[in-house]
Amino acid sequence: MNTDDLIRALTADARPRAPARAVLWRGLLPSLCVAFLAVWLVLGLRADLAEALVRPVSVARIVLTAALAVVGLRLALRLARPEGRRGARLWPLAALAAVAAGLLVWAYVATPAEARQMAFAGKTITQCLVSIPLLAILPVAAILATLRHGAPTAPRLASAVAGLAGSGAAAAIYALHCTEDSPLFYVTWYGLAICGVTLAAALIGPRLLRW
Amino acid sequence: MTTQKDDWGQLLLAANAGDGAAYTRFLRAVTPVLRGVVRARGGSLGHAICEDVVQEVLLAIHLKRHTWEPGAPVRPWLYAITRYKVVDAFRARGRGIDLPIEDFTDILAADPGQDPTEAADMDKMIGLLDDRSARIVRKIGLEGASVGETGQALAMTEGAVRVALHRALKHLAILRERHIK
Repeated sequence: MNTDDLIRALTADARPRAPARAVLWRGLLPSLCVAFLAVWLVLGLRADLAEALVRPVSVARIVLTAALAVVGLRLALRLARPEGRRGARLWPLAALAAVAAGLLVWAYVATPAEARQMAFAGKTITQCLVSIPLLAILPVAAILATLRHGAPTAPRLASAVAGLAGSGAAAAIYALHCTEDSPLFYVTWYGLAICGVTLAAALIGPRLLRW
Repeated sequence: MTTQKDDWGQLLLAANAGDGAAYTRFLRAVTPVLRGVVRARGGSLGHAICEDVVQEVLLAIHLKRHTWEPGAPVRPWLYAITRYKVVDAFRARGRGIDLPIEDFTDILAADPGQDPTEAADMDKMIGLLDDRSARIVRKIGLEGASVGETGQALAMTEGAVRVALHRALKHLAILRERHIK
């Protein structure tokens, strides 16, 4: 088959295809709903949710993790384009990490020495480290599916960003259940859960994103 | 250069909206440029293998054409796909090549040469498709049949032919990857 023949075959298949954004929402919205329902029905929302939502230190973890999800999703949509790697900005992610680190330092200083150990260890480390990755599975899968539909030329980076964004969203939803309000707890353990998911995504993703 | 770029953008915009004629013009316009890029990088492998790679790139452009953002410049998008597939294709053929190209703008378009039918890989891949898919691709590609005519010949509706053709092309890309490994 010569090249002109191939072009003829290609152009016969000229139906429009969905842009990445549409594919992302189609997959991500249901997965976020499932994650929310799982938290609501299985774990239960925290009893004092309304009060917690107006306490800055408590609400900061939802804001931070949700911001991570939004920044990550924007970046993932960019990296889904073949030329997206060039000019992709990573500094917003670094800025979020810096804010989280700042919060951790502030909490360390503001917490009395004898209370630090308790605030840091909390009561739900295991539950946190299990729930966030589980809740992240579907959102991360939805973002990876979007990348697969796209044409990422930096598959490892794109996969890691998918892990960050998906686990950020999962952590924000998990925070509706979790009552550990000290940054000593949540920056550390949410952060560890998010890093774990990101690492797993970066290891698995590139194999799925070949094209 | 600018007019050409705008031109490609308009053609691709129309193509992505389903305009087959614009799509044909777009692919015909970019093919010599792709050929120039591929030969500049892998000319020592001979024109036949280069043409295989050109076809591989064209198939990738086809399957990923929706990743072009309307309004964005076409060239960086096109070159990013080309770079990715060319590196991949030559690596798979045991010829690691370096593409330190920021832009391919200095590369001249290349003519197909006296015998553009030399490319052989695509035929091999089509042979690996299931019978019906292979017939659809050959009928439309080699015989120049329309989707409607192909449907009549194979007792399929036009819609079914379109779906089958799309699947066949997707499958071809996967087969190439597997086969070449």
